[in-house]
Amino acid sequence: MADSSHEGSVDNAVGAATATQSPSNQALSRVEPPQNESGLFSGESVLNILKLIFAGAPLTEVLTVIARLVEAQGKGMFCTIWLLDKEGKYVRCVTAPSLPGFMTHWDRTPVGPDGACCGTAVYRREPVYATDILSDPLWDSYRHLVTPYGVRAVWARPLFSSEGKALGTFAILYRDVGSPSATDLQLIENASHIVGIAIERHMNEKELRRSEAFLAEAQRLSLTGSFSWRVETDEITWSEELYRIFEFDRDVPVTLELIGSRVHPEDIPMLNDMIDRARGIGSDFEYEHRLQMSDHSIKYLHLVGHGTRDRDGRLVYIGAAQDVTQHRRSEETLGKVRSELAHVARVTSLGALTASIAHEVSQPLSGIITNASTCLRMLAADPPNVDGARETARRTIRDGNRASEVVTRLRALFSKKETTIESVDLNEATREVIALSLSELQRNRVILRTELASDLPVVTGDRVQLQQVVLNLLRNASDAMSAVEDRPRQLLIRTERDEGGRVRLTVQDAGVGLAPQAMDRIFEAFYTTKNEGMGMGLSVSRSIIERHHGRLWAAPNDGPGATFSFSIPCGPASATGARSLGVIGTPAVKDVKRVQGNP
Amino acid sequence: MVRRSLVSVVDDDESVRESLPDLLRELGFAAHAFSSAEEFLTSDYVDQTRCLILDIAMPGMTGPDLQRELKLRRKEIPIVFITAHRDETVRPQVLEQGAVECLFKPFSDTALLIALNAALRVS
Repeated sequence: MADSSHEGSVDNAVGAATATQSPSNQALSRVEPPQNESGLFSGESVLNILKLIFAGAPLTEVLTVIARLVEAQGKGMFCTIWLLDKEGKYVRCVTAPSLPGFMTHWDRTPVGPDGACCGTAVYRREPVYATDILSDPLWDSYRHLVTPYGVRAVWARPLFSSEGKALGTFAILYRDVGSPSATDLQLIENASHIVGIAIERHMNEKELRRSEAFLAEAQRLSLTGSFSWRVETDEITWSEELYRIFEFDRDVPVTLELIGSRVHPEDIPMLNDMIDRARGIGSDFEYEHRLQMSDHSIKYLHLVGHGTRDRDGRLVYIGAAQDVTQHRRSEETLGKVRSELAHVARVTSLGALTASIAHEVSQPLSGIITNASTCLRMLAADPPNVDGARETARRTIRDGNRASEVVTRLRALFSKKETTIESVDLNEATREVIALSLSELQRNRVILRTELASDLPVVTGDRVQLQQVVLNLLRNASDAMSAVEDRPRQLLIRTERDEGGRVRLTVQDAGVGLAPQAMDRIFEAFYTTKNEGMGMGLSVSRSIIERHHGRLWAAPNDGPGATFSFSIPCGPASATGARSLGVIGTPAVKDVKRVQGNP
Repeated sequence: MVRRSLVSVVDDDESVRESLPDLLRELGFAAHAFSSAEEFLTSDYVDQTRCLILDIAMPGMTGPDLQRELKLRRKEIPIVFITAHRDETVRPQVLEQGAVECLFKPFSDTALLIALNAALRVS
């Protein structure tokens, strides 16, 4: 075993036979000073190698050229280059140009304390010079692999990257015993340096190609392309994915005209506007526009550009464009799901409302039956009380109408409809909800007070959905007071003009109030403090209000209880069309112009 | 002349207050209607009332609240509850507390008459 020679000492137990030395001890002291420069690479040959490297020649080819160049510097020497594998366990021979068949017999050596010279040099991170392999214990297991070539001495130097990472080994095999001279050392040093450059460059290239491949893959997966736009010359470059999104061939030169040919005709003015602005101020931009493909299908494109200046101060935009078609489609689906959800929530509250409905209908029915009974009795009397009978019959009709109104209101509230936009008198809508909830509120012994502003402007929106919100707030307020016994269960509903051309509705209760930690969560779906609640009410309510471009919020009262309010814009400006209600608000970005892409 | 028994009606629903006294008079009773329990308690009719027709769910003091209050005041007025809430748990509760009957709205004149007769027999 070669273990005892690791420290490179000649005075160890194995004896003076060991000749493995580090340049740090006596081997160095015996080298002769350099005689001339002929042993070193000429500037021209170095240049040729560098050219080869930067032309992207395969690594083994470059290394073979270097190896041959080294071999040409003297006689009876063979050059080999070994690369460290990924795991760092072995060095593998990648070139041995003058040793035919060498690599088939000996292709790798383990990195470790007894890995001949090549593996040991990497292990020790220092050169290992075996002046005579016949007596060197490091070679005990490997000697037979090189003796057929008449090799007696091996000088190996580890190769490092610029960051000091081990790359492999550069090794010269000699027919004669001996240690390297100063010239030899210089040659090994120079050659190792160039080999290191070649390997590192190769690895960087590989890494670059890999990260480029990753980027392309990421772009494809995220449907995001990148671009640069040199404003002065209108020179535009696209990533591969952007070609794919626009469905253009990769070899087509990109011009603004070409882009324009794909942009949806209705979005062209916006594109022109965007280009004009971008040329002018050079600030960042963010747009969303549609593409019309050759098969007339529509794509939605989200565009973000960042303006930078090149070294000469010329404006260059670097940006990304994402195909958000799927996202937009999901939004539309989401809108549908929401209205389904609102319906589910309505139906869920239907169960709890059944008693209330029964009450609402039973009251007028009771009146009808009582009045009709009275009427019959008055007519049966002798003499018949015709005036009384007429009066009770009149009341019967009135109560019948009252019952019919209840049914109409219910039908409006529980019918499933897509979002419809109309002018809504919030007071009126609120009164209807109150009428439906009154008996339930009374049953909970809630004292209801209303303060409905007489000068309240109409709002534009979906009446039924807004009523759903009011109903939900009322029921929550009532539920919040169900355990309150020590104070009146007062509930206040107020409507008023809000600042900024808005209308505000407030529901104030004297219930258990809101725990500070619940404040953030009450609007989350499936969050509930009630035993039989689904936790959908407030979350659905908030999404309804947001679709009306409004805001729904909660605040604790100064005294007991909580206050829930919503504020929505009034007048026709609040909702310009049914579609705009389906648009989900996105955070505003400076200098951003958005086009929703809806006709 | 036989003095007619006074039946008092306490209900927050206006159409009940309007129609029920007329029917009661047709049935041969004297009738007076009140819109709340509080109004009845502060009126002069408590002692004259032979039977109370009482709504269960009312804002403020409820029907059962009034039932308890009358018990506290040792006013033994027979009570016929009426309610539009078909809540089956309320009925046994009020009957247990001594109510003569609990009618669900809408009820027939016959059902009302039977309940009233039972109430007046009690008194």
